[in-house]
Amino acid sequence: MKEKIRLFLDSDLLEKYLLGDTSTEETLQVERYIAMYPEVRDSYIELQENLESYAKIHALKAPEGLKEQILVKIRQEKRLGSKFFKYAIAASIAAFIMTGTTYFFYSQNQDLQEKNTLVNNKIKDLETDMKVQLEDLRNQYIVLNNPNTKRLSVKGNRKAEDLKAVAYVNPVKKLSYINVSHLPQLPKDQCFQMWAEVNGELVNLGVIKKFNDKEQLLALPYAEKAIGYITIEPKGGNETPTVKNIVANIAY
Amino acid sequence: MSTLLEKHIVELLQERNEKAISLLYDNYADTLYGVAFKVVKNEDLAQDVVQESFVKIWRKSDSYDPTKAKLFTWLFRITRNTAIDKLRSIGTKSDKEIQIDVSDVYNIGEQSIRPEFIDVKENLDKIESKYRIVLEALFFEGMTQQEASDELDIPLGTIKSRLKIGLREMRKIYGAVLLTLLINLFA
Repeated sequence: MKEKIRLFLDSDLLEKYLLGDTSTEETLQVERYIAMYPEVRDSYIELQENLESYAKIHALKAPEGLKEQILVKIRQEKRLGSKFFKYAIAASIAAFIMTGTTYFFYSQNQDLQEKNTLVNNKIKDLETDMKVQLEDLRNQYIVLNNPNTKRLSVKGNRKAEDLKAVAYVNPVKKLSYINVSHLPQLPKDQCFQMWAEVNGELVNLGVIKKFNDKEQLLALPYAEKAIGYITIEPKGGNETPTVKNIVANIAY
Repeated sequence: MSTLLEKHIVELLQERNEKAISLLYDNYADTLYGVAFKVVKNEDLAQDVVQESFVKIWRKSDSYDPTKAKLFTWLFRITRNTAIDKLRSIGTKSDKEIQIDVSDVYNIGEQSIRPEFIDVKENLDKIESKYRIVLEALFFEGMTQQEASDELDIPLGTIKSRLKIGLREMRKIYGAVLLTLLINLFA
C-alpha cells in the first residue's frame, strides 16, 4: 500500500490535478486517492498552499477601473439570468401543457381501444348466437320435414285442461322439439316450467313464457325413452320439479 | 486570507450575492491579474482575462465544492485556463522562447508587486533559476510536463524532479519569510 502511495505521489497526477489539467478519469482517480490516503491529502493541501503563496508573490496591481467593469458585467449576467429564468418558467409551462395534452390523447386512445374490443366481442357474440340460432332453425326444419318424425299431441291434465302442445320427435336424427300452442291462465305468482327426464336424470328446460313462446319450437334433449314434463312452479321457476304440480307429460 | 473570510465569500457566492464578486476582487484580483499576466504577457490581455474569469467565477459559483479545493485553487484554475485559452485563441503561443525568459518579463510588474512580498520576491530569486523556469512553465505557461520537456529541452524525468524540488525550496523560503515578517511585526 505504501508503495502504491509513493508511486502516486511520484507521478505528476496530483500537480496536474492542482492546476486543473487532469482528464475526467484522472480526476476521479486523484480524488479517490485524496479521500483514501492522509499522506496524499496532506500533499494536496500543501501543494494548494504553495500555489497560493507562489501566486501571491507574483501578484500585480490590477488596472484601475477593472473592478467597476467586472461588476457591470456581473449585473448584466444577473439580468440575463433572470431573463433566462423567465424563459425557463415559460418552457416548463409549455412542457407541462404538452404533457397534459399527450396524456389526454393517450387516455382517449386507450378508451377507444377498450371500446373497440367491446364492440368486437359483441360482434363475435352475435355471430355465435346467430350460428346457434341458424343451427336450431335448420334442425327444426329437418325435424318438421322428415317423414320419420313422430308427432305427439300433448294435453294438460285436470290442473291445466287448456294446455295444448305438440312434440316432434325424430329418432333417426336424434332430435326432438315441442311447441306449446296454448297455456291456461295462471295466478301472477306462478308459471309453467318444462323438464325432461333423460337417462334417469332430470333436466331443467326452463320457464315457458306465455306469449312469446307460442309459435316457437323448443328443443328437447333427445334420448331413447325420455319423458318430458310440464309443471306449475312459483314465478321465476324452480330448481327441481314439484311432482304434485305436473300438468302434462310427454313420453317420446 | 483568513478562512473565515473565505467561508463568507463562498456563502455569498452560493446565495448568488453580487457582494461575493466585490469581496473576491478586493482579496484576489491582484494575485489573479498576476497569474493572467504571467500567462499572456500583455497588460490589456491580462485585464481581459481577469474580467472573463470573474464572469466565469460568477456563472460557475454553484459548481465550487469547498471539500475538493481551496477557494484560491478554484479561482486559479479558472483564471489560468481562461488565460491559456486566450493565448491560444490569438495564436501567440509561437514565441514561447521569449515567454520562458523569465528575467525579461519580471521587470514590467516589478514596481507594482505588493510591498509585503518584496522580501519574498528577493528570496524567491534565490531559488535556482533551473527550478523556477520549470515552475513557471508548468504553473503559468500552460504547458504539460511533456511540453515543458520538449520546449526547454530537459528530459521529462528531470522536469518532474525539478518541479518537486522547486516547490519544496519555495516552501522553505516562503516559510522563512513569513517567520521574518511575524518577528518584525512583534519586534
